Amino acid sequence: MSSDVLLSVKDISIFSEDRQCNIVDTISFDVIEGSIHSIIGPNGAGKSTIGYAIMGIYHPCSGKIFFEGENISDLTITERAKRGITLAWQTPARFDGLSVYDYIGVGVKDKNLIEQRVTEALEIVNLNPDIYLKRKVDANLSGGERKRIELASVIAMRPKLVILDEAEAGMDLIVLESFMDIFNKIKELRMTILIITHREDIGMVSDNSTLIWDGKVLANGSFRDIMVLYCQKAGLKKICSRTLFNQFDESVDKIIEEETRENKI
Amino acid sequence: MSERSDSSEILNSLEKYDLDISDYLPSHSGPKLVLNFNKITTVSEVEGIILKGREIENGIIADIVIKEGTVFEDPIHLCFGVNKETGLQEIFPRIIAEDNSSVTLQAHCSFPNAKNLTHKMFGHIYVGKNCKFVYNETHYHGEQNGATVAPVSYVYVGENSYFENNFFLTQGTIGRMKIQIDIYAFKDSRINSNVKAFGKNSLDSIRVRDAVFLEGENARSIIKMKAAAIGGGEVMMFGITEGNAANTTGHVDCTEIVKDRGSRCRAIPLIRATDESCHITHEASLGKVDSAQLNALMARGLDEDEATDLIIKNML
Ligand SMILES: Nc1ncnc2c1ncn2[C@@H]1O[C@H](COP(=O)(O)OP(=O)(O)O)[C@@H](O)[C@H]1O
Ligand SMILES: [Mg+2]
Repeated sequence: MSSDVLLSVKDISIFSEDRQCNIVDTISFDVIEGSIHSIIGPNGAGKSTIGYAIMGIYHPCSGKIFFEGENISDLTITERAKRGITLAWQTPARFDGLSVYDYIGVGVKDKNLIEQRVTEALEIVNLNPDIYLKRKVDANLSGGERKRIELASVIAMRPKLVILDEAEAGMDLIVLESFMDIFNKIKELRMTILIITHREDIGMVSDNSTLIWDGKVLANGSFRDIMVLYCQKAGLKKICSRTLFNQFDESVDKIIEEETRENKI
Repeated sequence: MSERSDSSEILNSLEKYDLDISDYLPSHSGPKLVLNFNKITTVSEVEGIILKGREIENGIIADIVIKEGTVFEDPIHLCFGVNKETGLQEIFPRIIAEDNSSVTLQAHCSFPNAKNLTHKMFGHIYVGKNCKFVYNETHYHGEQNGATVAPVSYVYVGENSYFENNFFLTQGTIGRMKIQIDIYAFKDSRINSNVKAFGKNSLDSIRVRDAVFLEGENARSIIKMKAAAIGGGEVMMFGITEGNAANTTGHVDCTEIVKDRGSRCRAIPLIRATDESCHITHEASLGKVDSAQLNALMARGLDEDEATDLIIKNML
């Protein structure tokens, strides 16, 4: 294992009692320290399941997970969190009575820093602390607000690895660019990011990607290569978020066009 | 023990609920009726509010009248404190809120040293038309599971009035507790009743019966009952709503968390409608702490017990 690998997932399979089969099967990939790594794949591919396995919520029936070289496969959620792993949920839980301040502050180890970290984290996710600190993490928050607070709670904690499960889902798309700013802030704060997404425009920020299809790793590689493969698999000839892709030096669209011309697809 | 230390111990138990002690001190000018065991120590009235206490064999009769049109922002305080270890206290409050009045009553029942102490209450509250009446009852039964507490209240809420009941027993131990509150809601009235209780060990046992009878058309109600039983504690809640008039709407919501062996929670929502235009619903959830909530907090580094405590503390 190379020294700059922060997380290494080795051949994990997760069995579903309900379905009597593996939901994900012999999944392997490495996440490099300081990078943004994306797990991409269609709905139901098994992306969240992989995230939960890394966090310790699901337990693989085979395979191992290494974090900073240590086999963490048998550690509890709490132990993994204490080692520096956390997860922002796709559909974050709601809590009756728990204040936004207390929720975001939960992961801050140094209690003297809570106030500063909470305020700063809210600012990073573009929520006004004066308004949100007083609110509760209950059903009265909108889906988008709750997702931002989830991101803020991860940022305040300062883990080594954050797993963001469809962090963008439920947020207004208009703010996609400001969303990229949030990723950059997280990166600046020296956290490694594992993004789980089915949106190519979000995955675009990543240094490396893993394409998951039907519970299996179809490929590991650069985001661009993975996207080409994804589009081929999905039978897509065009990628929707054109403006963002234009920011790429080589547009994925162009590659697909070329490959289509050459009758590769 | 001196009177002073008696009352400070009782007052201190308010702080556990974030209630401001200074509002309860004898020097505070607001309306109040303060008891030390079965002796009345302070009665102070203000304009528009009549407070009368009469000592009886094992307790008192308290008469409170809020006169027509009186709007009073600060709460009226009733402090039923006993800091003896044993004894019997029986309270008979009779409360009338005349038409167009608006008040908050804060009752504080504190028995910090209870070992074998019984507190009974038999209360009647009559709320007139177009009133706003908030009744808060906050209990503290000490740390020795030594209280037996049985309050029974009947509340009549007049036309177009709002009545809110907040009953909290979440600090210290419960001991044995049986609460019954029956609320009769007349035309266009709105009822909001909240009960929170926390049983912490096998000597804690609580039964709550919170009932709303929607007797007048368009009356609306919500009952919210929240409880947690840990360490072998027992909580049983009956949330009752009857729609007995046209276009009445009622909802009963019971949430109970159970943790540790021997702890028991039961919730029995009982709903009944006798008119086809009624809409009465209920929702109950019992069980251990929601795993999604637990996972979320554990992923930030709390262990299971810390996460459970935080969830229960905030829910109650
Ligand atoms: N606890 C579970 N029991 C049974 N099936 C599950 C469970 N969790 C997820 N699945 C199934 O496994 C598949 C992958 O789910 P998931 O990881 O949530 O997909 P994705 O995040 O890629 O959309 C889906 O078909 C889903 O229904
Ligand atoms: Mg998912």
